[in-house]
Amino acid sequence: MADLEIRDLHVRIEEREILRGVDLDISRGEVHALMGPNGSGKSTLANTLLGHPSYEITEGSITFKGEDITAAEPHERAKAGLFLAFQYPVSIPGVSVANFLRMAINAKRDEPIQVKEFRNQLQHAIELLDVDKAFTSRHLNDGFSGGEKKRAEILQMAMLAPDVAILDETDSGLDIDALRTVAEGVQKLHEEQDLGALIITHYQRILHYIKPQFVHILMDGRIVLQGGVELVERLEREGYDQIRQEVGAGTAGAVAAGDSGV
Amino acid sequence: MSEQSDAGTATVASNGATPVQVKPGRHREATLYHALSGAGAGNGRTLEQLREAALKSYETSELPVWRRSGFWTTSLQSLDLDALEAQRRTSEPGTVPEIVARTLPDRARAGRLVQRDGSVVHVDLDPELRARGVILCSLQEAFRDHPELAGRWYSKRLTIDRHKLEAANAAFWTGGAFLHVPKGVVVEDPFEIVYAIDGPGVAQYARTLVVGGEHSEFKVHEYDLAEDFSGQALHAGAFELYLQDGARCRLAQVQDWGTGEVYDVSTRFVGVGRDAYCHWLPALLGGHLVRQHLELAVSEPGGDMAFRGLFFTEEHEHLDVFAVDLHETGPSGGDVHWRGAATGESRASFEGLIQIDPGAQQTHTYLQIHSMMLSPKARVDAIPSVLVSADDVSASHGGTVGELDEAAIFYMQSRGLDRPAAVRVIVEGFFEPLISELADEPLEELVREKIAGKLAAARDDIEAYATSR
Repeated sequence: MADLEIRDLHVRIEEREILRGVDLDISRGEVHALMGPNGSGKSTLANTLLGHPSYEITEGSITFKGEDITAAEPHERAKAGLFLAFQYPVSIPGVSVANFLRMAINAKRDEPIQVKEFRNQLQHAIELLDVDKAFTSRHLNDGFSGGEKKRAEILQMAMLAPDVAILDETDSGLDIDALRTVAEGVQKLHEEQDLGALIITHYQRILHYIKPQFVHILMDGRIVLQGGVELVERLEREGYDQIRQEVGAGTAGAVAAGDSGV
Repeated sequence: MSEQSDAGTATVASNGATPVQVKPGRHREATLYHALSGAGAGNGRTLEQLREAALKSYETSELPVWRRSGFWTTSLQSLDLDALEAQRRTSEPGTVPEIVARTLPDRARAGRLVQRDGSVVHVDLDPELRARGVILCSLQEAFRDHPELAGRWYSKRLTIDRHKLEAANAAFWTGGAFLHVPKGVVVEDPFEIVYAIDGPGVAQYARTLVVGGEHSEFKVHEYDLAEDFSGQALHAGAFELYLQDGARCRLAQVQDWGTGEVYDVSTRFVGVGRDAYCHWLPALLGGHLVRQHLELAVSEPGGDMAFRGLFFTEEHEHLDVFAVDLHETGPSGGDVHWRGAATGESRASFEGLIQIDPGAQQTHTYLQIHSMMLSPKARVDAIPSVLVSADDVSASHGGTVGELDEAAIFYMQSRGLDRPAAVRVIVEGFFEPLISELADEPLEELVREKIAGKLAAARDDIEAYATSR
């Protein structure tokens, strides 16, 4: 049994069906890539997995480590060991990165973390993400550049040590150096902490740094193709249109989902 | 002061404004949203003369109503002043109310004065500071022991007859606080001034006078506290602080009148002298009906000030703040920054006025007010206004009105914080830029705790609001 089991997931937002029966299994130590064109439902899946209140599950279930979390509150999912690295991280003025991390870590524990232990973990994480110490005393995401925001996401991931992390277009908007740092960070966490990851991406370039064992292609709210890393290469060669024709994904759904980036 | 020609129907108030004449039995309907501007009542009159004049004004005036262009009214109609007056009481010296120990941070201090209801019940002052000439005592004692000093500054800029409660304060005050930091004395730890109301039925006429001598440096922390009780009480306060040349003062105020029906109608004036500086931060954290006239005036060239403030209203509280950033001469600097949040069915109005008088050239000032609504029935009105009578100045204002950011809440929830914790982070983050400016760890912690407590109390309300959207 996989750690994260998604079964026949149907999701609506404001009367519009975005996911139309998604099945996916992810376990610790596995790296999955979820690829798909704009509007295919990638971010919807990411947000639904963490319980975003705007997304309504109409059918299907999400099970995590044997527990049905389909209706669980977002913070309960996080405490259980799920993590979402946001495509567009929100700024939280007035709270430093370090203080926020301490709160998040303590939310998962009965006893507050010892100062020394926290400091050691933080030190390890900032080295991993190649940020300097001053970074952690800045207000979370407040005035951060795109690259800093993505680093802050992975820094949080490193500190919170989830079992399974969903990385929603973590590669978008990054220059090549930032992309390499972030990707290597994820790779190391995968190796060190046996992290399971679902890397959601529109492009292929992040997958040059992190090699997924499983690749899934999402179109019009359904996973239409599954395979290994060779799928990435094929996608690079042929593009989404070719694959769409081949699998015959419903064009009506594509129009409905549009280009809204959901 | 000029005489009104039509003296048969109008007298002239001590600030030069013509009071509105009202028939007996009617509430005075007047817009009192203007600066005190100019001479106060002091001007050579003795304390006795001032009390007498104030009493006359008290007896002939009605409870005030503050009205602004149809959408905002602060009315004291529900205040039963006669009942409070009938049982006005003083407490025995020596008994410090329990709430003082419970609320004030345990920290080093320069001195502390506690007034309970109508009496000063405790004064302590660092003996070393006393030896250097610092005076901390009740205002009554100051008039007895330092009549020249107290008389010179008392009501120098405060008026005594703009409305009934101002007159009541000037006529009836007992106890009171007097602080004088002499020339050149620099004090690290704060002077604490506490006004506590013990229970219902109290009319507390609080009177504070603080004078900072040339190049003195000090901090004043005022606490306005009441136990939770049911029934009415009144705090009608008059506060004046004068900074002489080159003096620097950090003035902070923590006001939380608890859950009783406490009315607080106060006027506070801070005068900044030549090259002097004041950082002023009132934290208005609760009261049934609170009306504050807060005026920070740069009176001489080179004066500078930072006028900060925060408020948090809950349940059915009503808060009316009129804050004046007054520049009487230039060059001068000003910087006004307020933040407020409202829950429940509370209403808060903040009017910020930048007033630059003729001749206050080379004044540069900015006013910003940010507010946050945490419930559908709460309301915050922010009204900035600018009155400029000089041409070589810069004065501008800005502000935001916000609600809880659901995206930020989801973000924090996805990190393991539950919803109330996430809301708390947002609201604390909203206030943090001001709280950290207190630059005083124990006081910062107290304000943070109080805000957290109010958020916890409003938890269901905030939750209902979020799910309704």
